[in-house]
Amino acid sequence: MLFSSITFLYYFLPAVLVLYYLVPSSMKNTVLLAASLFFYFYGEPAYSILMIMASLSGYLHGLWIEKARNGRFAKVPLVSSIILGLGPLVYFKYTDFLISNVNTVFGSNLTPLRLALPIGISFYTFQIMSYTIDVYRGKAGVQRNFFDFATYVSLFPQLIAGPIVRYTTIEAELENRTHSLDDFAYGVNRFIIGLSKKVLLANTLGELGKVFSSIDDKTLLLYWTYAVAFTLQIYFDFSGYSDMAIGMGRMLGFRFLENFNYPLISGSITEFWRRWHMSLGTWFRDYVYIPMGGNRISRLKWLRNITVVWLLTGLWHGAEWNFVIWGLYFALFLALEKLFLKKLLDRIPSVFRHLYTLFFILISFVIFNADGMAECIMNLKGMFGMLGVPLTSSATTYYLRSYALTLVVAAIAATPVVTDLLNKLSQKSRGAAIINALEPVVLGLLLLVVTGYLVDGSFNPFLYFRF
Amino acid sequence: MSRTIKNIVVTTCFIAFILGFFVINAVVPDAELSRSERRRLVALPAFTWAKLFSGDLFEEFDKYTVDQFVLRDFFRGVKAYASYNLFGRLDNNDIYMTDGSIIKIEYPLNEQAVLNAAKKFNYIYEQYLNGLDVYYSVIPDKNYFSAQKNGHLAMDYKRMLELLQSGIKEYKYIDIFDCLDLEDYYSTDIHWRQDRIMDVAARLLEGMGNPYRPSDTRYEARKLTPFFGSYYGQAALRVQPDDLVYMTNDLLETAIVYDFETRSESNVYMPDKFNGVDPYDVFLSGAKALLTVTNPMPVSDRELIIFRDSFGSSIAPLLLEGYSRITLVDLRYVATGLLDEYIDFSENTDILFLYNTIIINNSYMLK
Repeated sequence: MLFSSITFLYYFLPAVLVLYYLVPSSMKNTVLLAASLFFYFYGEPAYSILMIMASLSGYLHGLWIEKARNGRFAKVPLVSSIILGLGPLVYFKYTDFLISNVNTVFGSNLTPLRLALPIGISFYTFQIMSYTIDVYRGKAGVQRNFFDFATYVSLFPQLIAGPIVRYTTIEAELENRTHSLDDFAYGVNRFIIGLSKKVLLANTLGELGKVFSSIDDKTLLLYWTYAVAFTLQIYFDFSGYSDMAIGMGRMLGFRFLENFNYPLISGSITEFWRRWHMSLGTWFRDYVYIPMGGNRISRLKWLRNITVVWLLTGLWHGAEWNFVIWGLYFALFLALEKLFLKKLLDRIPSVFRHLYTLFFILISFVIFNADGMAECIMNLKGMFGMLGVPLTSSATTYYLRSYALTLVVAAIAATPVVTDLLNKLSQKSRGAAIINALEPVVLGLLLLVVTGYLVDGSFNPFLYFRF
Repeated sequence: MSRTIKNIVVTTCFIAFILGFFVINAVVPDAELSRSERRRLVALPAFTWAKLFSGDLFEEFDKYTVDQFVLRDFFRGVKAYASYNLFGRLDNNDIYMTDGSIIKIEYPLNEQAVLNAAKKFNYIYEQYLNGLDVYYSVIPDKNYFSAQKNGHLAMDYKRMLELLQSGIKEYKYIDIFDCLDLEDYYSTDIHWRQDRIMDVAARLLEGMGNPYRPSDTRYEARKLTPFFGSYYGQAALRVQPDDLVYMTNDLLETAIVYDFETRSESNVYMPDKFNGVDPYDVFLSGAKALLTVTNPMPVSDRELIIFRDSFGSSIAPLLLEGYSRITLVDLRYVATGLLDEYIDFSENTDILFLYNTIIINNSYMLK
């Protein structure tokens, strides 16, 4: 079930909210668990059992880790939890990739399994692993109530596209959380802003991407417009989803950590990854990079660590070579910045730092969005005038004119300009009163327009569902 | 406004909005048809265990909730308004408005589809029409007249005509592009207005060597109003409806229309169909595979066979006086291979292929 669907917005969500607030506190997790399981079953009936089994495995391993603590084989349950946790992810996500590469290298003729990827498996697998590792490290208490643990894993706001909420983040709230009008209203605000980012900006930019894919006479300007549009689309798509997740979490009394912090204003690739998909970045940092030694080791080993982490980050996003290259591309820039580039960047005017970052981010998302390496190379060639396409055409001009305002609005919304302005205004009592008066009106209008877009039934996939 | 009051307003309005629509959608009976979109709406899916576990049930339910959402037309209007006015889009779902007329963008030219149309026409010629006088004409869609003026995308019409002319050499081309302009079409519909195409009918008759010339004085104009055309629902915006005017006289009032499919007879004009799903069905009862219209007062024994789309329904009555009988064939609904079972392709017959540019650009729908 998509958050940005009539079914979710006008059937599932009101029903869940009403039930949730009608039942006593002791029943709230039960309502959430039942709603979350239904939510998952609605989108993925066949693999619901897999998600429940993964939760059960994580729960039992948590108990086992606790029991084996201080013993001779304390690591065994941890290793077991990681193997059993990653097993289904590797099987469903990477088997065909492996088969196709084995076929290519050895000339064999193994038949691909063509398995459908269970929705959200990359997210919930990482959440369960964060739990068992943190229990092993003594950072998280073991959860003895399976239903509470299953509620954590399956919590519908963040189940299928993140943010990757660690158990420690909501450990206390699972047992005892407070609900307040302020939190609920904040949650509504974040949810509607996220929904609007997704439906009004990401989906519209996605239509431009579809135009790019379908048009035969591509031009240089169209290649670059596509690169800009997709970069903005994936940002608003994913950050919109995270906003909705955080907003709904707050409505239900949970405080999820932020997942995005205006990444497109970054002045370096290093800064970009501190602002983009923060829950994934910090996950790899805490559970892979630092355990491997982080950067407090020899330069060669550090380069190895950074390569491994970004190779895994690329593969986490998809089992295709373009994702591998995408990950290694960032490893290269992060290493270069750490070695010398960052010092150079710090000495040049900030506008050039931003241009450098944006340029290489655009290229990265062209690699990311390609349907295989052939398309990736073709699009990059097109962007750099290596396909002999004209500079522009009447069709390119038309689409640029038609999407110009959306691109401008998206570009502004990708910066903190509006938020900063509102924060500044709200510091004055009159400004705060005006903002308070306008906020319900703006949110109401956004909800109205979003509903119009949903009823009209246009382009609406979530990009991160494929991970 | 204080922060607390704002939070109360935000929370109350949000809950009222989503819960209100939840209740209203549950209570309001489902509609069967959308008149504005001219289609059957999705009904509540029937439950089966197989559909539940395959996920089909939920997919169908998603479609159902969108189709049956209360105030659907209003919300589609909100989307169209926001698309044009908030985001400055030049079109909404390939629809745009200019001078009060709703226009659909047909773009780009599908050369393969045009060649397919030419191939289809050639096949029919070789099968049935060898030695007969065969003509073809192309009706421009509305976008032809306004795209360039308004900076919208348009297919390459010149190229389409070149491809057709080089592809179907045995046919004589009758150019009607210069007989038409945007005002000759309904503002809210894809079609041309029958009361504005006398010159088109005259050009076709002249091109086929027929001496009859229709003119306004030979007909009485009858008006049906308001006419909300097919683009009205697609645009989802409030625009002035059209008047549907049909041109009639004693001959047309007494002419007999025979429908091969239903084996029934009817009139040329069917005003009672004005209140149906498609008011344009007033002309020759709308989409029909195979019809004959018999002239009750023929001055010549020459016949006309028109291979046509829906535009043909409104122009055929204006040609009838020049022929003893007109046969109308819609290749979207009848297979080419079956034609000689129903039609006598005799020598005393003119053959006219009359299609609008949208059909030619999507010719794979021709059987």
